[in-house]
Amino acid sequence: MILRIKFNKKNYLRYISHLDLMRLFQRSFNKANIPIKYSEGFNPHPKFSIGAPLSLGIESNEEYMDIDLEYMAVDEFIERMNGVLPKDIQIISGKYLEREESLNSIIAWGEYEIQFQMNTKRDMEEVNEIVNNWLQKEEITITKVRKKKGQKIEKAINIKPFIKHIIVKGVGDNITINALLRTGSNGNLNPVDLMFALNRDNGLSIDLDEVRIKRIGLYAEKGDQIYKPL
Amino acid sequence: MINTKILDKILNKVEKPARYIGMEQNSIKKDLDKVKVKFAFSFPDVYDVGMSHLGLHIIYNLINNEEDFACERVFAPWLDMEEEMRKEKLPLFTLESKEEVKNFDFLGFTLQYEMSYTNILNILDLANIPLLSKDRKDEDPFVIAGGPCAYNPEPIADFIDFFVIGEGEEVILEILNLYKDHKEAKGSRDEFLEKVATIDGVYVPKFYDVVYNDDNTIKEMIPLHPNVPKVIKKRMIRDLDSMFSPEKMIVPFIETVHDRVVLEIFRGCTHGCRFCQAGMIYRPIREKSIDRLVELAEKLIESTGYENISLSSLSSCDYSQLYLLISELMKKFEEKKVGVSLPSLRLDTFIIDVLKEIEKVRKTGLTFAPEAGSQRLRDVINKGVTEEDLINTVTKVFKEGWSTIKLYFMIGLPTETDEDVLGIKELSYKVKDIFFSLPKEERQGNLKVTASASCFVPKPFTPFQWVGQDSIDEFYRKARLLKDSIKDKKVTFNYHDPKLSYLEAVIARGDRRVSKLILRAWEKGCKYDGWSEHFKYDKWIEAMEELDIDGDFYALRTRELDEILPWDFIDPLVSKNYLIREYKKSLEEQTTRDCREGCRGCGIVDCIMRGEYK
Repeated sequence: MILRIKFNKKNYLRYISHLDLMRLFQRSFNKANIPIKYSEGFNPHPKFSIGAPLSLGIESNEEYMDIDLEYMAVDEFIERMNGVLPKDIQIISGKYLEREESLNSIIAWGEYEIQFQMNTKRDMEEVNEIVNNWLQKEEITITKVRKKKGQKIEKAINIKPFIKHIIVKGVGDNITINALLRTGSNGNLNPVDLMFALNRDNGLSIDLDEVRIKRIGLYAEKGDQIYKPL
Repeated sequence: MINTKILDKILNKVEKPARYIGMEQNSIKKDLDKVKVKFAFSFPDVYDVGMSHLGLHIIYNLINNEEDFACERVFAPWLDMEEEMRKEKLPLFTLESKEEVKNFDFLGFTLQYEMSYTNILNILDLANIPLLSKDRKDEDPFVIAGGPCAYNPEPIADFIDFFVIGEGEEVILEILNLYKDHKEAKGSRDEFLEKVATIDGVYVPKFYDVVYNDDNTIKEMIPLHPNVPKVIKKRMIRDLDSMFSPEKMIVPFIETVHDRVVLEIFRGCTHGCRFCQAGMIYRPIREKSIDRLVELAEKLIESTGYENISLSSLSSCDYSQLYLLISELMKKFEEKKVGVSLPSLRLDTFIIDVLKEIEKVRKTGLTFAPEAGSQRLRDVINKGVTEEDLINTVTKVFKEGWSTIKLYFMIGLPTETDEDVLGIKELSYKVKDIFFSLPKEERQGNLKVTASASCFVPKPFTPFQWVGQDSIDEFYRKARLLKDSIKDKKVTFNYHDPKLSYLEAVIARGDRRVSKLILRAWEKGCKYDGWSEHFKYDKWIEAMEELDIDGDFYALRTRELDEILPWDFIDPLVSKNYLIREYKKSLEEQTTRDCREGCRGCGIVDCIMRGEYK
């Protein structure tokens, strides 16, 4: 049976890469004695997958994972796993799926809370104006560098269609915005790239190394409907 | 605690930031204000390498098991991290509490290879601790060191306040307890050094002076204090079953060199290979019992969630009941899909049964170390394997379905001729021929033979400690001779950098004056010397020229048997007479058989081995 769980990733553990996280869960399943199913073949591996891998350095309130296992009560699963997982990676809820559909095929949007500082102090209205004017542009392009056969290939991408909305939440010592961005295998905008473009186009002198990003929601999309995977 | 705001900013800029955050499973964070003694343990290399070192896991858990003591870790930051730390003036900190290393009572280094010594200086510098022992004040930590390279402590005697010679499980707690009392009594730095110098196995360099002859050899080593011993005897644990063994290992978030449970099955080695320092200094052989090992393995698997156990020792096939041990482990863990692997294999035919047992779960790669290409030279170095052993083993191994074989050799061994060098090619080709001489249906996969040659470095406390190393040019000549002669696609040959081996030889057999060389090299930007991409040979040579230090004096010169060697004041239990005897026998191409078949008189008094194996 497929169990879908929601978990978080906080504080310093935002510096654990996706692959390291996979290994952490694999060891934790062993430690918690979870009856997880293994793939067939020469080198069997446990069957679980994480939807929309998070970039290094970004925290998250909700990440999703599907696990193929022999039935066990959800509450017991969560209790046993949380007992062996680090305190900054904990499972929040879970539910067995009625029908299988992979996380990667349904996840389409991610909502991010982004905190940063600008060169000069601005009030709410001013920040709103900067953001809204920026989003009025026909196109917002960034250049992505890919390595192919040892050669660097640069590609310009228009990220505007990948931005659903940006809401300015607060302008205290830090400016806080929420951004709903394309996330997943059908188009993906990394919030770091969003901040790069916002900074570049508006000359805001944001220290990009000090931008703090947290994923606060992941959403599936079917037709016109946007909903949570769990 | 350091300024974590700055740390946060830096972590966004560096590669593998998880190297610097700690918080791994089974790591231990105590309230540093509540413990009485704070110990910072350092492996002077990058996190990924240091975390694979078994000794770290032992000492870490041993110290933290004591309520009054805390042990935290610190590694060499990788170059990108160092650059950011220096830019932001962020001092070096421990992973657990993010506390400045400078605020600890002790900073203890493990010395696993000589080429990590510049990293020690870099760590001290980043921690704002004076580099030279003589410049440290009461408020500075005691900088201490142990591990195999501490058997010749002299090349870093200027930097280290005191050394611990031998196995640390007992002595480290003696030292920390002594310090706890000393701290409560508010004693001075020198008072503590005077007290600690009387603990067996502890060497405090400042209480000794070295006098040199006109030819730069050592005339005399003089104790400067009435209470310090003239000879420092190594510490050794007699019973490994009752010794502290960790039941937990820190599990790194990032992938490290050994991503598995490391189970130490015994210490010591009885083969007596004449080039091997570990084989001499870890004597005598002492095993853990099967019951104890199975108990430890269960606890380690449970506490880590790892899926592989590596049986660790100097030569794991020598465990007296290896087959039984592996069967027991396989039985216990097969359901959990836990594999067992053996990292060091000898050319012994009986291992096939063992390998077959292991293969039930997972297949591992195969590496053999004939060390020399010809039988004559293998006799010189007392590597007790014959060509027949290799042929028999490899034949069986191929029949069992393996097809990738690695062979380890050394070039520049004493008495080596070009014929011996070319023997490496002969042996590698023979392995290839065995594969293709098997009927097609009996062999599987694509054959790949890799022959690797390292350059021989004479080490203290081996029968070759007097031998001059080959020059760099000679190493290159021999390596090229071999490279040019191997023209088979199935056989790959590679060799280690002779320049690195030359410096390793300078430091390994260096005296106190070599401290100045290491310091100057570090000042010129040398660090991470063991990483070929960061090794700056030219800077080392420049440093030698500026200081008028002759590297050849240390690396290339053959010593007289009656010369006083810089490490002669250390007693590794094996006697100098035995080493001299073995050296002379080597020149006559005489072998010495495994001491389990009968005592060879290596000089260990009250040896546990004697009479136990027959």
